[in-house]
Amino acid sequence: MCSDSLGVLNVKLKMKNLYIFIAVLFIPWSFSLAKYDEFEDGDDIMEYDDNDFAEFEDVSEDTVTESPQRIITTEDDEEEATVELEGQDENQEDFDDADTQEGDTESEPYDDEEFEGYEEKPDASHSKNKDPITIVNVPAHLQNSWESYYMEILMVTGLLAYIMNYIIGKNKNNRLAHAWFNTHRELLESNFALVGDDGTNKEATSTGKLNQENEHIYNLWCSGRVCCEGMLIQLKFLKRQDLLNVLARMMRPASDQVQIKVTMNDEDMDTYVFAVGTRKALVRLQKEMQDLSEFCSDKPKSGAKYGLPDSLAILSEMGEVTEGMMDAKMIHFLTHYADKIDSVQFSDQFSGPKLMQEEGQLTKLPETKKTLLFTFNVPGSGNTSPKDMESLLPLMSMVIYSIDKAKKFRLNREGKQKADKNRARVEENFLKLTHVQRQEAAQSRREEKKRAEKERIMNEEDPEKQRRLEEAALRREQKKLEKKQMKMKQIKVKAM
Amino acid sequence: MSDPRRPGKVTRYKPPVTESNPALEDPTPDYMNLLGMVFSMCGLMLKLKWCAWLAVFCSFISFANSRSSEDTKQMMSSFMLSISAVVMSYLQNPQPMSPPW
Repeated sequence: MCSDSLGVLNVKLKMKNLYIFIAVLFIPWSFSLAKYDEFEDGDDIMEYDDNDFAEFEDVSEDTVTESPQRIITTEDDEEEATVELEGQDENQEDFDDADTQEGDTESEPYDDEEFEGYEEKPDASHSKNKDPITIVNVPAHLQNSWESYYMEILMVTGLLAYIMNYIIGKNKNNRLAHAWFNTHRELLESNFALVGDDGTNKEATSTGKLNQENEHIYNLWCSGRVCCEGMLIQLKFLKRQDLLNVLARMMRPASDQVQIKVTMNDEDMDTYVFAVGTRKALVRLQKEMQDLSEFCSDKPKSGAKYGLPDSLAILSEMGEVTEGMMDAKMIHFLTHYADKIDSVQFSDQFSGPKLMQEEGQLTKLPETKKTLLFTFNVPGSGNTSPKDMESLLPLMSMVIYSIDKAKKFRLNREGKQKADKNRARVEENFLKLTHVQRQEAAQSRREEKKRAEKERIMNEEDPEKQRRLEEAALRREQKKLEKKQMKMKQIKVKAM
Repeated sequence: MSDPRRPGKVTRYKPPVTESNPALEDPTPDYMNLLGMVFSMCGLMLKLKWCAWLAVFCSFISFANSRSSEDTKQMMSSFMLSISAVVMSYLQNPQPMSPPW
């Protein structure tokens, strides 16, 4: 009986438990049903599984892993490929197939809401899983870095180097010019009344300054001395301001030059042509200069006879001139400063270099002037310093001495006769060459005159005057014809 | 030693006549000017960047070698033309210049 009652009690307890259990189960089921009622749109039905505890699953985890993948797929960077790879690796680690499917189904609605505007879908990124990723180098022109513009940077650097060289070269030439002038100023001022003139001032006052013609050429005009009209000094420096020239000079060294041109008064110099200098310079001058080519026909002779070094040669119109010029002091100057002397030219027929003119234009001999021309090389052959200018001072003394000497030197009677004959010969040659051109020029001038006459007659309004002028012109022509006929007759008679 | 100076015999400086001198003088600035203009026109028309850069160089060289008697307007105009050639070729095509090798 006890056991029976115990048994019944047990059953009753069990039943009670069962009821409680069912009740407990019922509550969440009813709750889930209620939820189902709320979201009846249909979209979120998919959100919930058969699993009643689906709502308690960690959805946030999925969204977190989804969003970085999302953001990464939309970026257009080189790192895109690698990060995608990482993202997909994570996915594979975290989820099984079922879970990924779950992730898909769960994330799609989220993505539509949260990640609007993004073009790529996670499906696309997942399909890439199977394709191999190749990292391609972005071409240079799409890169946004300064390194791809290296050619432009090179060009700009080249330009800057050119500008720097321009400034440095200009300053160096300037310093050299002023160093020269400071060294020579005293000597010049003691010899010339006017030192420095640019021709623009109303009064003839010394400016005491060099004229800068160029970044590499400086002029100085001195005047007001016995014997000479004036002296033009040209400092022809190397083009240190031009980088191309600097580079060219590295191949072929050259030196700065000082050119001095003294214009003599007509009465202070006799008629002769004479030159002394380095052989190379004299050969070049003989070809280029009008007077040297006409009057000094022989090749440059060695000056060893007078004690000159071998580097120097002489070009002269006649031997007497050489004898006269090569006095002791001159020889002293020439031997001591032979390395700095390029050429020295004394000429009464100086007209500059030969003019390259067309055949028809040469009707008159070019104008000549009595000139002494000196060309000196500055020592240093390019790498000169301002101190080197001091070594040119004795050469200026030589110039001054030459001016006085040219005034003193006079040809004797024989020499003078020879010189005159030479000049007459040259003139005759010139006239012969240009005879045809001169005839043509005279003919054209006559025709021009006739035409002008005719035009005047035509333009004359008064008929009376017209007739008179026409008659006068006719008479003139007749007279000319008569004269010609007379001449022809005379020639015929003479011939007979 | 008597004073050789004669203030009464002073003659004024006359700049040398230039009828034949331009031929004797250095023709570099004129050539470079012309070359610069030709290059800048090539650079503008054919859109070649290296032409435009060469034009800038040419105009710089012409300026450095110029004589004082030359007017600055010519120099400035060639310089401006070359700069405009460079700017235009980069506006039309911002890619960097590729070397010929």
